[in-house]
Amino acid sequence: MAERAATSTRLALRRGASSRWYGGATPWVFLAPFLAAFVLFRLGPVIGGFFISLTRWSIVGSPTWVGLANYRALLRDPLFHTSLINTLFFVLLTVPAMVALSLGLALLVNMRLAPRIFARTSIFLPYVVMAAVVGVIWNWMLDSNFGLVNYGLKLVGLGPFRWLTDFKLAMPAVAGVTIWWTVGFNMIIYLAGLQDVPRELEEAAMIDGAGALAVLRHVTLPMLTPTTFVVLMLTTINAAQVFDQIYVMTGGGPGTSTLTLVQYLFYQAFQSFNLGYGSAVAYFVFLLLAVFGIIQLRLVHQQVTS
Amino acid sequence: MRPSLRRQSLQFGAALSMIVVGIVFLLPILWMLITSVKPEGQIMRYPPEFIPRQVTAENFASVFRRFAFGRWAFNSIVVAAAATLLVVPVDALAGYALARMRFPGREALYMLILSMLMVPLQVTVIPLFIGFTEVKMLSTHWALILPTVGNVTGVFLLRQFFVTVPAELEDAGRIDGANQFQLWWFVMLPLARPVMATVTIITFMSSWNNFLWPLIAVSNDFTRTLPVGIAQFMGGTSGASGSAPTYGMPTAAAAMATAPAVVVFLAMQRWFVRGITTTGIKG
Repeated sequence: MAERAATSTRLALRRGASSRWYGGATPWVFLAPFLAAFVLFRLGPVIGGFFISLTRWSIVGSPTWVGLANYRALLRDPLFHTSLINTLFFVLLTVPAMVALSLGLALLVNMRLAPRIFARTSIFLPYVVMAAVVGVIWNWMLDSNFGLVNYGLKLVGLGPFRWLTDFKLAMPAVAGVTIWWTVGFNMIIYLAGLQDVPRELEEAAMIDGAGALAVLRHVTLPMLTPTTFVVLMLTTINAAQVFDQIYVMTGGGPGTSTLTLVQYLFYQAFQSFNLGYGSAVAYFVFLLLAVFGIIQLRLVHQQVTS
Repeated sequence: MRPSLRRQSLQFGAALSMIVVGIVFLLPILWMLITSVKPEGQIMRYPPEFIPRQVTAENFASVFRRFAFGRWAFNSIVVAAAATLLVVPVDALAGYALARMRFPGREALYMLILSMLMVPLQVTVIPLFIGFTEVKMLSTHWALILPTVGNVTGVFLLRQFFVTVPAELEDAGRIDGANQFQLWWFVMLPLARPVMATVTIITFMSSWNNFLWPLIAVSNDFTRTLPVGIAQFMGGTSGASGSAPTYGMPTAAAAMATAPAVVVFLAMQRWFVRGITTTGIKG
């Protein structure tokens, strides 16, 4: 199935040479329902959000224009600093591990051996589980006294750990759960990428006497660079926006040890009802993602030119 | 002889690690299912009991007795179904126009639409909250359904498909006297069935699992959806409030919320996987 999907992508990238010129209203009639929703629920809010971030606005009363005051306040806000550092910590904990693990798993289940369908399905299955259920499952798995994780660790002489209530362990625990939850998604992207690596290339290298590891390092991995870029970008974007699993597992705690940017946005806008200030946090997340995107594009550019 | 022996043992090792990895990933979900059928008194045991001594439906019954679980499930189904029924035709119309009709401003419009893929959805929740408050539609199903129609993924997927359809098919339709709408309906849509299946899955699942916006937009059980419902009653049972945690009811609720998603996934795995590989987007 992955092969076919990859081919369809390639086909889709070819520009359709066959579209006709329409000067009149016809295209707009076809586009109208989508554009109405797009403007009302996507484009409008994205633009509106920026203007809201330039106001002081609690849910009662009307907004007051304050210019960039919210952004200036952000720079001095210790809770904002905490949430920014925690978010970067979460990105660091999840992204490299996710890339390495999803690649490793993809290489493993790409081998033509009997249990590969079982392995593929099991690894992907957590991804279809909703965040609240992830919370239920792992609050129980990570229970300090009766959790399966501590039980397993005790068998090898470790622990017990208070995973979700220890200031130092809560974020790594949430990061680990996130990897369990979404690594299958990234593995699928790598599997599709692996279908595009020409078998002849690997076989030619083997005939030239290269061992399996050398083939992996000098043929397969370089061919997978575009896929790695996609996985890197998606996992970074998702990690920088992390909210759901933290909300259901720790609620930002203990203390502020798992308070992330979107957590803070939620707290400011919907629990303290500082809508303007919350919007400034939202736009900061957007800015952060843009910076990540530019850095990664730069890296790819260097890769391509060198 | 020796190389093949080495090869065989390598293959055996790889097959074994596949099984082990598969079990490790599956274990938390299995443990949830096992826990959900145990009587509350037998859940916290040391060492853990993987085969329940006694199987009960009590946890499932309590979930319905003590929480509006049935209502949450109904809301989730209504919202996800309505979102899907709206998104698929709306996106198919837009994707078709963007792919097969050239008109002034098309490239710029398509770029504008695609650019929204880069903007985190969290940026929109505050303005949406204010907007839905203004029109007094907060805590309605519509507040959960309508914003999904503005999502860009489906338009992108369908547009990418429609550009690959050979022009001869449309020309043949024109010769037969079909108008533009008929071309879309009779020529294009039947071809687009696989892509529409993908868009259906992506839309349904992302609506079914959606968390942040429903958490913000809905404040009563009458409209609340499953993910938010489960998250909220977990707060009452997790022991965070000082009382001892219980896991029977949460795991029972979690099992019931997960079952439909797993069934849909196993039945439509192909479209699911295709959705990921063609877009790399969650929906």
